[in-house]
Order: sequence, then C-alpha cells, then structure tokens
Amino acid sequence: MAEQTDNRHIGADPNRATATDAAELQQGGPAPLPLQQGHHAATTADRGDRWTPGPALAGVAVVVALAALTRFLEQTVPAAAKGTAFAGIAAAVEFPVYAILLGLLGNLVLTRLGLRDRLAGGFRTEFFIKTGLVLLGASINFAIVLTAAGPAILQALVLISVVFGFTWWLGGRLGLDDRLRALLSSAVSICGISAAIAAAGAVQAKREQLAYTASLVVVFALPSIFLLPAIANRLGLSQAVAGAWIGGNIDTTAAVSAAGALAGEQALQLATIVKTTQNALLGVVAVALTAYFAVKVERSATSGPSTTSARPSAAQLWARFPKFVLGFLTASVIGTLYVATVGSTAAKPLIATVNDLRTLFLILAFVSIGLEFRVAPLREAGWRPVGVFAGATAVNLLVGLLLATLLFSGFSA
Amino acid sequence: MSDPTPTSADDGVTAARRLALNEDWAATIVGLLLLALVLTGLLPGWLVP
Repeated sequence: MAEQTDNRHIGADPNRATATDAAELQQGGPAPLPLQQGHHAATTADRGDRWTPGPALAGVAVVVALAALTRFLEQTVPAAAKGTAFAGIAAAVEFPVYAILLGLLGNLVLTRLGLRDRLAGGFRTEFFIKTGLVLLGASINFAIVLTAAGPAILQALVLISVVFGFTWWLGGRLGLDDRLRALLSSAVSICGISAAIAAAGAVQAKREQLAYTASLVVVFALPSIFLLPAIANRLGLSQAVAGAWIGGNIDTTAAVSAAGALAGEQALQLATIVKTTQNALLGVVAVALTAYFAVKVERSATSGPSTTSARPSAAQLWARFPKFVLGFLTASVIGTLYVATVGSTAAKPLIATVNDLRTLFLILAFVSIGLEFRVAPLREAGWRPVGVFAGATAVNLLVGLLLATLLFSGFSA
Repeated sequence: MSDPTPTSADDGVTAARRLALNEDWAATIVGLLLLALVLTGLLPGWLVP
C-alpha cells in the first residue's frame, strides 16, 4: 500500500491530478502511512503517473450500471415477491438499501479483479449527492426552510460546538497529532468528508491524514444509514425529530440522505435542511481553525511568529462556503414560486419529474458510497483514532437526540 | 508539530479541496439546469428512468 501511495501523482499539475486524488481521499486509498508521527511525504517529482479520463469514465459507467440495476430491482422485486413469504420484506426494502448493497458487491468484485483503484476516479459521491440535494430543494416549500432555519441553526451551533470540543479534547487525551485531531473533530461534528477536506486545507494536514479520516467517516456512516431510522422508529420519534436527529448525527451528507429516505419523506426534508445548515457553517469552522493553527499551534511549534495571517477575512469565508447550499436554496425558491404561479395541480407532474431525477442522483450517490467503502486503512492506523471517532459519535448521538427532541418536537410547517 | 515540512502533502490536500469546490459548483449548475429543463417542459417525464 505504501508503494501504491508513492506511485500516485498528487501535485505537479493539480488541475489534472484532482479527480484521482479526491477519489483516493474519499475512499481512503493511500492512507496506511503513520498517522501519529512525523512523515515526509514523497515529493511531486517522485510521482510519475497522471490522471486520465478513460478509467474515470469507466468508473462512472460502473456506477450508472449498478444504479440501473437498483432501479430495476426496486421496481420489480415487490411485484415478483407478492404472494410469497418474502412479500413483506420485499415491500419494505427501499432503493437506498439496494443501491448500497449493490455498491458493496461491485466493490468486492472490482477489488478481486484488481480494477477498483483504477476506476475510483468515477465514484463521485459528492457530486451526485449535491446535485440530488439541489433537486431536492425544488420539492421543499421555502416556507419550510424558513420555519426550520431557526431551530436548525441553533441545533447546528450547539452540536458542532459540543461535539467538536469533545473530539478535540479526547484526541488530545489519547495523544493524537493536532492536525489529525482537527480533521477528526471537523468530520464528526460538521459534515464528514467535505468538512475534513476544508479542515485539512485550514490546518495544512498531511494527505494520508485526510485519506484516513475520509475512510473513518464512511465506515461509521454505513451502519448509521440503517441503524438510525430503525432506532428512530423504535423510539417512536416524529418525522421531524427523526429527520433532525439523522441530519445532525450522520457525518456525511450522502449517508444523511440515505437514512432520511429510509425514515420517510418529511424526515428526509428535515434531515436535509439540518445537514445543509451544518454544511453552511463549515466555512466559519474552517476559518476559525486556520486562525487557531496560525496563532497557537504553529507558533508554539516554531517558537516564533507565524507567517500565516491569523485574521480571517470575508474572502476566506466565501472561499470555504459550500456553494451547493446556494443551489439548494435557489431551487427551493424556484419550486415555491413555480407552484404559486401555475398552481399545485399543474405543477404536480413536473415536480414529480424533478423528484424522479433527484432519486436518480441519490441512487448514483448511494452506489458510489458502497463502491468507496474500505476498511484496510483503519486496521493499519491503530485503535486510537478509531476510539476517538467512536466516542465522538456516541456523544453526537446523545446530544443530537436531546437537541432534536427539544427543538423539533412541535415542528409543523 | 512533529513534521515541520508538510510540502507535497499540502499539494494533495489543496488538490482535494479544489476538487470539492469544483464539484460544489458543478452540482449547483447541473441541478439548477435540470430543474429549469423540467419546469420549461424541455425535459419530459418519460425521459427520466
């Protein structure tokens, strides 16, 4: 694995390297280098190979093929199982389950064939899920967004502060590197891989630390997709509380959508609003981390003044703001105005088509989650970061449940 | 910090961050474009699987 890492091109031409790099980072490909001790990464001159579009397009083709199979199973299995002992199960299994399981199966087959890493550039979970969320915005009345915004912002602020603080503290107690602590804290408290990427830029983390954190996010998100809706159902939570809990807890946005879809339509909408709010706060946390590392961590390490500006600017905030949030809000405004203009009867079939498109992109994202899943980097990194992440997730679950119950129990739009 | 020279590691992180930002914009543009196509009737429902 270390040899594989050293053979990757990462920096000589960033514009050409990005797709492969991020695919690796999202799937945790090149992670198994030491995380808690100094490591001098190979220079860009050591990395000869370059990203080419062919394998990435083949990867996209795999995702599309598995998504088509998901759609086929989702539409045919319930009818085929009617009248059999499996009818109940077949009717209950929804598209996120088929998509993730087929993604995992594809992952296994491609790994056995030695093709998975070459095709990974096409497993674009972030792009698929964000496009799906922009389309989801069109079916959410902007009044719901405005009504939910207050409690969602309050929940996000408290949850991010508590979970980030706890993770940072626990990471320090277990002797993790400050940069890795920052990555783990951001990922578990804000929005998974996107937050880890933003934090990695803010604190100048090592590439393997980012890849490792991304692996950890996916490993924890996968069971959460199924467990949280089941627990919410068992606890008898309302759709709004379940959605707020799911949105505030599951780290990565794609997994939030999968769990929300399993919990119900209103739960999906609330989960998305809560998660989108957390995404929107990402820029603030990234800028705060930049300032903190410039002022405190780097200065104490070098015993001298930092060369990095510690004063966050509006430009930095904008640079780190996740732009798809604007697309989500714009789609909500457009959808609301459209329905108000042409009437709900005329708008209904068109909004239904938009929802079908949204489901299509969510399926592509869920298949990609399964294809990206990887456990090897976690085994090689030791138990301490896993312990920190697990502890933080437990705190996130409990505090999140408390906040969701307090803030969303009486929610109605 | 134990590693004072995070040189090429930063390149990888910068590349990943740039891609994430590009994907943000790409998702926004593609999502809104598809929405516009559907609402204007240019993308009919039967074309969506």
